[in-house]
Amino acid sequence: MKISYDWLSDFVDLKGIGAKEAADVLTRLGVEVESLAIVDLSAIVIGKVLEQVPHPKSRNPLWVHQVDLGDRVEQIIAGAPNAVPGSLVPVALPGTTVPNGKLVKDLNIAGYRARGMLCSAEELLLGDDHSGILILDSGRPGDPLTSVIPSQAIMDAEVTSNRPDCMGHLGVARELAAGLDRPLTRDFMPAFTGTADPPGRDLVEVSIDEPDLCSRYIGGVIRGVKVGPSPDWLRRRLRACGVRPINNIVDIGNYVMLEYAQPLHVFDLAKLFGGGRGKAIPEIRVRRARAGEKLLCLDGVERELTSDMLVIADGRQPVALAGIIGGEDSAVTSETVDVLLEAANFSGPSVRQTARLIGLRTEASARFEKGLPAELALAGARRAASLIAELAGGTVHRDWADVYPRPQEPVRVRLRPALVDEVLGTHVPLLESESILKRLNFHVRVLDDGEWDVLPPVFRLDVTIPEDLVEEVGRVHGYDRIEPTLPGRRRDRWSPSLPSVDRRLDSVREVLAGAGFNETWSPALVSGRLLEGLRISAQALRVSNALSDDMDTLRTSLVPSLVNVVALNRDRGRSDARAYEIAAAFLSPVGDKTVQPDEPLRLAAVATAGATAESGRQAFYAMKSVLDACVAALGAPACTYDRASAELFHPGRCAAVVMEGRQLGYLGELLTTVSAGARVEGRLVALEIDVEPLLAASRTPRAQALHKFPAIERDLAVVVEETVAAASLESAINEAGGPLLAQARAFDEYRGAQVPEGHKSVAFALTFRSPERTLTDAEVDKVMAEVRLGLEKRHRARFRE
Amino acid sequence: VSDPAQLAKDALIAIASARTDAELEGISVEYLGRKNGRISSLLSGIGQMAPAERAALGMAANEAKRAIEAGITNRRAELEGARLADIAETEAIDITLPGPPLGRGHVHVLTQVRRQIETVLESLGYQVELGPEVETEWYNFEALNIPAGHPARENWDSFYFTPELLLRAHTSPVQIRAMQRLKEPPIYIITPGRCYRRDAPEATRLPYFSQVEGLAVDKGLTVGDMKGTLLYMIQSLYGRERTVRVRPSYFPFTEPSFEFDVTCGICGGAGCKSCRHKGWLEVGGCGMVHPQVLRNGGIDPEQWNGYAWGFGIERMAMLKHNVEDIRLFYESDFRFLEQF
Repeated sequence: MKISYDWLSDFVDLKGIGAKEAADVLTRLGVEVESLAIVDLSAIVIGKVLEQVPHPKSRNPLWVHQVDLGDRVEQIIAGAPNAVPGSLVPVALPGTTVPNGKLVKDLNIAGYRARGMLCSAEELLLGDDHSGILILDSGRPGDPLTSVIPSQAIMDAEVTSNRPDCMGHLGVARELAAGLDRPLTRDFMPAFTGTADPPGRDLVEVSIDEPDLCSRYIGGVIRGVKVGPSPDWLRRRLRACGVRPINNIVDIGNYVMLEYAQPLHVFDLAKLFGGGRGKAIPEIRVRRARAGEKLLCLDGVERELTSDMLVIADGRQPVALAGIIGGEDSAVTSETVDVLLEAANFSGPSVRQTARLIGLRTEASARFEKGLPAELALAGARRAASLIAELAGGTVHRDWADVYPRPQEPVRVRLRPALVDEVLGTHVPLLESESILKRLNFHVRVLDDGEWDVLPPVFRLDVTIPEDLVEEVGRVHGYDRIEPTLPGRRRDRWSPSLPSVDRRLDSVREVLAGAGFNETWSPALVSGRLLEGLRISAQALRVSNALSDDMDTLRTSLVPSLVNVVALNRDRGRSDARAYEIAAAFLSPVGDKTVQPDEPLRLAAVATAGATAESGRQAFYAMKSVLDACVAALGAPACTYDRASAELFHPGRCAAVVMEGRQLGYLGELLTTVSAGARVEGRLVALEIDVEPLLAASRTPRAQALHKFPAIERDLAVVVEETVAAASLESAINEAGGPLLAQARAFDEYRGAQVPEGHKSVAFALTFRSPERTLTDAEVDKVMAEVRLGLEKRHRARFRE
Repeated sequence: VSDPAQLAKDALIAIASARTDAELEGISVEYLGRKNGRISSLLSGIGQMAPAERAALGMAANEAKRAIEAGITNRRAELEGARLADIAETEAIDITLPGPPLGRGHVHVLTQVRRQIETVLESLGYQVELGPEVETEWYNFEALNIPAGHPARENWDSFYFTPELLLRAHTSPVQIRAMQRLKEPPIYIITPGRCYRRDAPEATRLPYFSQVEGLAVDKGLTVGDMKGTLLYMIQSLYGRERTVRVRPSYFPFTEPSFEFDVTCGICGGAGCKSCRHKGWLEVGGCGMVHPQVLRNGGIDPEQWNGYAWGFGIERMAMLKHNVEDIRLFYESDFRFLEQF
């Protein structure tokens, strides 16, 4: 919200407090001033236009003015035609830099001298009106502009949603006054009331059909107004706050909203119709819109209404969308004579919903959305009526229609004053606490038991519990004054400090970093269509209000994200890529998308391989080594790999990763359709496993005694049919090897010379060792013979030298 | 030769012409060997000598021995010096040539920052708690004092699956779940994790991001304790010259509520372009836990109170590493990831 420093000084004496200091005080109080724009007008002078003639030679429409500057007359050329003779205008002389940053120069335009510039409101940063020269109401030629318009300081502040009372200057000024400990010079409730007969309530008939959505409706009648432009100062303040002046009546409504935070609306009373035949007086009915009703709004847009929307209707049709925008047909125009001033209270959720439905958020709806107090309506109505009477000359009728079906309940809060110190952790003297609450318009009554009975002001609906009062005291006392401490007392209960899942996975990250894998954090929201294309969407949860279709579904696998990482980096010049990610996959039970999904934490990795089948094969084994090292780093038992088939994976190159009989996930080469879908050339290998069972199987490593006696190594090349897996050969070797065989490991696979068609040769390295003695060759030869025999029997193996 | 001095002279000549360590070792054995060395042999008949002669010979022999030993030590040093001088030339390499690329992978910068945050808070006794990313309305909003229609809800515009099921907008639901599970204070936890809000991606915000929230529930906790905890955390992460301020703000789940700021690392608080002349950088929100929120977590607010805070991990990483666009963290461009 835009806050004018000058406007604040209407309500609190800011002598000695500059705009910067006021902004700092407000920020410390909770009205966060995000920026402060200071407009220095001291270099601009007032001029009086004596003569205005069209530029005789210029092809563009330009006007040549003779401008009286008090001690001299200068010739100034402008493009806008509105500085007619007699106008008082702001003049920037050559050498001056105007507030919008433009440096004014001495010019010669098509043969005519231009000795300065006539300024628009926009150039002086007094608003965004750049349609013409700013015409002043008063001022003496030659005087500085600041004699009629003070230099401006506009704060851009963020008002928290619990403080709609601060969406007006009076509320902000009240905070400032409390913070500075200076008096607030304006009461919340203006004393002004109308006096003219007949009573206003006899001039309009007001009814509320939906008291839950509209708790109060005040309709004030003012007759005989003279519609015209607002005075300078009022227009200037509106512009400074980003509101475009329209006419005095409309402007006053907006002005009071910016002052009291109460949105108002003004109807042309003559354009409001009564209900039944023969009924003379206009009717106002607050009701839901009916299907098919339409409203031409003040922004020129005709909107279809639905029964979700609350409207203000006259006897015939909707005339305003409650709390959001008025209707064009009943708007105040230059012909308007009698007006109905609306000050109402609409329910926040209803206004928000309607504003969303029609896609229009106005200054009014932004305030109602927060939930305004109904008492504010009367204060706003009185202030507006007094200004209309003063500036537009109307007659304000007495006893307005005020339908108030849900009166605001007064709130009382009991405070044990010691709570202030207990919560803040500092000492605030009781007198200071009481003074702070009073400065903020709270009533404090000390009860016999020492507790305080506190009555918050009617405009503070946010204060309901004792802690709310602690906050009021704390923020005015100053949170900066609270010393930082750490909690600590003798504890008889505690939780042991166990490492988090993420810390336990750091050993996996070390392995992967060493193997050249970069860790990624990819978005969990991916394209649902992509998952469908990959046939991994059966368990996917789809967002009902996605921002875009490339992030409308929770991923069921991390692999597609990593494939995209490879593609992105390939596009940016990195042909080799290794990446991994540790994150949740989201699996909702098939057929039931209404319960929370499983969110297994996954480890997934992808690495590029070459284009050939052989390079894919090698990359597959390299990926196995990476996973085995990760598993070993966690102290978990070694995985076994079972031939498997799974979506995304090459049907002949996919392994189920199994640990202690439990399947953790898959490792394999990705289908070329998966990589090609992401525009990656060449083959990719990947793994994706569940982390939780892996962590559950992780053990603290126990030290093993180091071997005392040397081992004997033997190689064995086993020729078997293609279909026999190396793992089967290995278990046959281990079975036949007996206690002296310490380890058997396959290290090579060979096809070609010496190996018959349909067969392969698998080379094993065997390690023999005894814990008690150095083995002899003869002993090992004997075991090797057993091993050969076992392999021959079990797998019809032959052996290659 | 029976004169130790002569023996020493002979030995020193041999030493001077020795070219290798092995030759020196041979000379040492020849002259100084305990059994058959020439000095020992010289002394073999010493038993039959007159005491005065014996003393004189013994002294001379010791002197010769020391001279030979010193000669060998010096020559050895000379030879070593010569060898080093030789390889300094013959085996010299261009040490300015770079080593081969290591090809190491990089732990993601957000993991690194998250790890630092966890480590700092674990040192204060906080435990890491995790929870689901797909949450129910109750845990994400109601339990946190944000009922339907609450004006503050617009700050947590969320992705919904069903009217009841949504992506959590903050990790606060984990606080409720932790209170329900742990039941009895003291509770000191932090809740790192991914969150989601329906904000269009831009340089400063993304629809997905990561938070760390902290929660302390104990007896007699104060705003001062909360300030101290934040200050400890910030100084541990950014250095002891940084300070923290809390500003009043509003959240439905804390009362009083605050935003907390850290002094700008570039200007030290004086105000500069990067802190938009404020001297302070906004980091996160915090406050004393609202009594109703404690109740929703099954904790009796008459007995216990608490404070909580939360901030974005990305924001912390941006401040720490001078990253200007939040999207870089999730884009996975290796040229970015490999800088950390």
